[in-house]
Amino acid sequence: MPRPALLRSAVAVLSPFPGHTLFSNQCAARILTMDGLIEDIKRRRYYEKPCRRRQRESYETCRRIYNMEMTRKINFLMRKNRADPWQGC
Amino acid sequence: MQALQDAAAKQKVEEKAAPAPSSSSSSIYPPVPGQESPLRWAGKKFEEIPIAHIKASYNNTQIQVVSAANQPLARTSCGTEGFKNARKGTGIAAQTAGIAAAAKATAKGVTHIRVVVKGLGPGRLSAIQGLTMGGLEVISITDNTPIPHNGCRPRKARRL
Repeated sequence: MPRPALLRSAVAVLSPFPGHTLFSNQCAARILTMDGLIEDIKRRRYYEKPCRRRQRESYETCRRIYNMEMTRKINFLMRKNRADPWQGC
Repeated sequence: MQALQDAAAKQKVEEKAAPAPSSSSSSIYPPVPGQESPLRWAGKKFEEIPIAHIKASYNNTQIQVVSAANQPLARTSCGTEGFKNARKGTGIAAQTAGIAAAAKATAKGVTHIRVVVKGLGPGRLSAIQGLTMGGLEVISITDNTPIPHNGCRPRKARRL
């Protein structure tokens, strides 16, 4: 029995404003991007060999770690950026 | 509608359409086929409105307007509009095809449509804009791009 090898993921957006499709377009595009579907579709256009895939995933992991630590550092240092605590002195 | 039912991961965002009375629930998700909803467009329920399937491939864009009972109403593509070869894979060609499809559909008495887009091509956005410019009112946009769960192996990577 043939098994469907693909399942379609449907993202549906209802348009609130008649005649203005840009808002619902952006809505749908944002949902797809936030869930990582757009880049997944782009990546599946050509085959990605397992060696390339491992390199890419390692690179993305390192990048994610670096970005998170950097934002953590920045948020920590921004605590010093406050309104003048010694006003008048 | 069948695409919505087939999908394993359904993510729906719902908002109140402007002609409907503003009541408590306001979300961007279209009405689920099972549940009753007060939203009506030209007196029709969501399930009875015709669907415009847009296949936006990288080299071409094809549009087919189908009634809710899957009866074909209008079919256009960039090629039928006089574009050839590389020019078919552009946004302008998709917009022209959208306008032509809207004209054919309005000749058959269609006012509101739900749009189902398939593929990530250059005509993805322009085709919907063309349908709107041609006089049809788009009430919902569904993305039905086929995503294989590791099915067929795609072609080899390009070396640039």
